[in-house]
Amino acid sequence: MLVALEIVAYVAAAAVAVYGVVTTVRNQPPGRSHRLAVGAFEAVLVVQAVIAVVLLFAGGVTLPERTTFLIYLLVSVCVPPIALQFATAEPTRWGGTVIAVGAVGTGVAVWRLHELWVAGA
Amino acid sequence: MPENPRPTSSGPGRILVAVYAIFALSATARALTQILSKFSEAPVAYLLSLLAGVVYILATIGLAGRKPVYRRIAWGAVAFELVGVLVVGTLTVLDTGDFPDDTVWSVYGRGYGFVPLILPFIGLWWLRRTSAGK
Repeated sequence: MLVALEIVAYVAAAAVAVYGVVTTVRNQPPGRSHRLAVGAFEAVLVVQAVIAVVLLFAGGVTLPERTTFLIYLLVSVCVPPIALQFATAEPTRWGGTVIAVGAVGTGVAVWRLHELWVAGA
Repeated sequence: MPENPRPTSSGPGRILVAVYAIFALSATARALTQILSKFSEAPVAYLLSLLAGVVYILATIGLAGRKPVYRRIAWGAVAFELVGVLVVGTLTVLDTGDFPDDTVWSVYGRGYGFVPLILPFIGLWWLRRTSAGK
């Protein structure tokens, strides 16, 4: 994992979470801006996952808990789009906070990825 | 006239479903990797992890569903979750020797920002608030 990209992921997770809560407070249902925000966040996560997988399978990186790492990697990529889908399925003000919950959960998953990655370094 | 119950997965309830889903995912995934990789180290703790994961899955399904049976599942799962986090939390605070503290309920969910302790109270409150006649 690249530290720079990891920091970008935390910032993006925090930005999506804050934006989601703000739109709930302002009584705005999730819309195009939420899709763009989650899309940008997801792009960072996918790039991070691809780099991690390449390093793991072709870059000679070995981890003590590789399976666990891969599961968290999969979770980190899957949660934001699922949260977005669940949030937009019932477009009320609460959708923003649903997206925020997904972003925070994803941020924690990225932190777990970091710990598992560092354990192998 | 008693009012019909409101869906637990509507409005702010969707936030609760989302939080439960995250816990269902993380607790179950964690338990499965523990059981697959190092089960013999602490079988009781890892089975407990798995039980917690299943309880969160049932709570998520119960809160997300709209038929009366789902509400009963949610009541049962959230009540079990409350008992579980209080019992396991207390046992781990009193005697950490027998419990490696890596289940979701250990020390009242300290490893998860104490959310596992708060969550069942919110869940029970929400089930009561959305039930018929409220």
